[in-house]
Amino acid sequence: MSRSWTEVQALATRAAAGAGVPSAQSLAFGAMLTRHLADGGAEAPLHAALHAPERIVALAQRVEEVIEAASISARPVKTVEPDADQRALLISWLTGLPCRTAIDVSGDTVLAALDLTSPSTRERTERLWVSADLDAGLGTLAARTYVADSAASRTMGAGAGLMDTD
Amino acid sequence: MKDTMTPAPPLRPPHEVMRLGRMGVMMPTRLSFLRVLTRRLCAEQARVDRPHWNICADGYGTAVHSLRLGGRDYALISVSQPLDDASRSDRVIATAWDAAFVLFDGMPGRADIDRVAAQAPQQEAGRFGPRDLVLSRANKSMRLWSEIVAALRAGHQPSRQRIGEIGYIMRTTAVYGNGKFGIADRHLIAGRPELSGAFAAEMLAVYLIRQFSLDLVQHVGQGTLDRSLARHIGVGNATGLGMAPFLVTHPVLLNNWMVARETALARVRAVPDISSDTRARARLLADRVAGHLSEWHVPSTTDEAALRALEAEWRAFRHHLVDLPDDDPYEDIWSRAQNGSTALQELVVAYLLELNGDIVDDLAERMVDPFGPRPQPFAGTDALREAMARDWSWALDIDFDDQEACRRFWYVSADKLEPRLGDRFAEDGAELETPLDNARRVASAFHALPETDQPVSAFLRAYPQHKYGVDRVATCAAHPYSEIRDNLIATTCRPIDMLRCKLSFFGATKFDPKSDLWTRITLAQGAPLGDELSTERDDWWLPVMSP
Repeated sequence: MSRSWTEVQALATRAAAGAGVPSAQSLAFGAMLTRHLADGGAEAPLHAALHAPERIVALAQRVEEVIEAASISARPVKTVEPDADQRALLISWLTGLPCRTAIDVSGDTVLAALDLTSPSTRERTERLWVSADLDAGLGTLAARTYVADSAASRTMGAGAGLMDTD
Repeated sequence: MKDTMTPAPPLRPPHEVMRLGRMGVMMPTRLSFLRVLTRRLCAEQARVDRPHWNICADGYGTAVHSLRLGGRDYALISVSQPLDDASRSDRVIATAWDAAFVLFDGMPGRADIDRVAAQAPQQEAGRFGPRDLVLSRANKSMRLWSEIVAALRAGHQPSRQRIGEIGYIMRTTAVYGNGKFGIADRHLIAGRPELSGAFAAEMLAVYLIRQFSLDLVQHVGQGTLDRSLARHIGVGNATGLGMAPFLVTHPVLLNNWMVARETALARVRAVPDISSDTRARARLLADRVAGHLSEWHVPSTTDEAALRALEAEWRAFRHHLVDLPDDDPYEDIWSRAQNGSTALQELVVAYLLELNGDIVDDLAERMVDPFGPRPQPFAGTDALREAMARDWSWALDIDFDDQEACRRFWYVSADKLEPRLGDRFAEDGAELETPLDNARRVASAFHALPETDQPVSAFLRAYPQHKYGVDRVATCAAHPYSEIRDNLIATTCRPIDMLRCKLSFFGATKFDPKSDLWTRITLAQGAPLGDELSTERDDWWLPVMSP
């Protein structure tokens, strides 16, 4: 399915939140997922992460530590991730950061060079291709974050009147 | 002019500017996005053409308005259809509208028009592609529409007074950009100089919708509006809560908008003298402001009273503008404004900028954020605490055990996916709260900080739920105007203030609040018409109907 970048990122962010991931990590997951798909990453690690939100939180923590290390030293930061699915997402997460990054992978070791003072130079694609399976999975999880309507919410909680008087 | 400029004064501090009480009285300026766009249209001597017009006598069918900008063609595809009066609603939950629009990248062919005609009326339920830049819809303002049609059919012009009172014949209820429902992402067009400005594509769509509405009413009325009347007809807009979260979810963009505006003010205050031409213009503009305020009326008694108070305050204040001192004239105006209300001060900001386009217009280029917040790690939790104490003391002072400090919660409705506000203590769903409670989250993180310094990553390992608060603190440390310094979940929070701020950046006028949650506005009132862009002098700030 052809989707805009913004659509996919917003849906993925909500899906992560629906899976139980805290707000900031959900936002970062949305950015990671779009980068992952744009770079041709497999969908299986995304499904796995969304079914085990603690994996997403752990990835976010790993990235936090890489960024912190990069802010202290200009040398590339070495991190080891034996789980292939997690490693794939870690690479996408780092690559999708809004700063300039260079990633080198050797076995289960990821070497990340981050320039926190320079913006990312990675191009975004015109469209993202999402399988119907992933699209449905994201939609189902995202729906968990929506609040069911009530009469009060429809009449009192939103903007604009229900009837036109113009 | 003197040989040297007075050093620019410091910008007004964020704790003064980033308050809802001030943001809620902001006025459009020459840095507002619609104004920036029309300046570009004029600079390129653009001309609006109408290559397709398949509209029946009753006003239904399809139309295309196009123009060439930056060496590229852009076209508004309009779809007008019958609508029962009972279906005409401002709400996002509406499912039918008088007209639907797509701003198209290039010149559409027959197949493109047919596709848009099938999809655009469905709005959120439709699907769109990367050549569709903006999606919108609008309803007629039946009170003015009917009067204009009747007048034109009778062979005379409609009432100037009524046009002045209402100001538009079509009112958009949503203008979607940046990838919504499959339309083009902003990154696809942000590199084009003509659309690189904030909301430039959306403003172009609004400008062309106004042209469509003027063409449509004259087509149905079978007559021609006087040019002065047509020019005073803008585009209405009804804006609700959907717009409010944007200011919170785009902190760097908000910072850059505010910094541009505050930098412009500082530059103007530093101008050491004033030419005789500008003196004369200052008096003319002061009269125009008075005229605009006198023509701006709203049904809400509270807001009408505030407008009349501002009008009276301006009439008293403009005496200062008649005989300005030779030295530091703008600083003199500004310092005198400090004795006035917040609304007067924000009006004076816009007035000062209007007089000094030559030294502020370039700032419009800075009102974008192509990259988003970059990681800004703190050296440790002590440094984080220090930043919180410096930038967030207003939040740390709030007692969130007080129910009135946290009664409201923002959420997204399952029905129409629209942002809404609920009562945390009376309604279900607070556990699904949208993270706009920044003050509470930062305060919560602050109270969880360890007594002894440690890496922030170690703190977040123990408390991953506080990463959101930590990120906001980091962004605010790097971008001081990125954060609204008020509690957005307090009972006293008025979302309308956030709407006013954002809409003023769009260039909205005639704010007509209907509650604390939504407002009607007018865009492009007084703007040059589609065939006037080559001769326009960019002088339509706060237009006045009366001659």
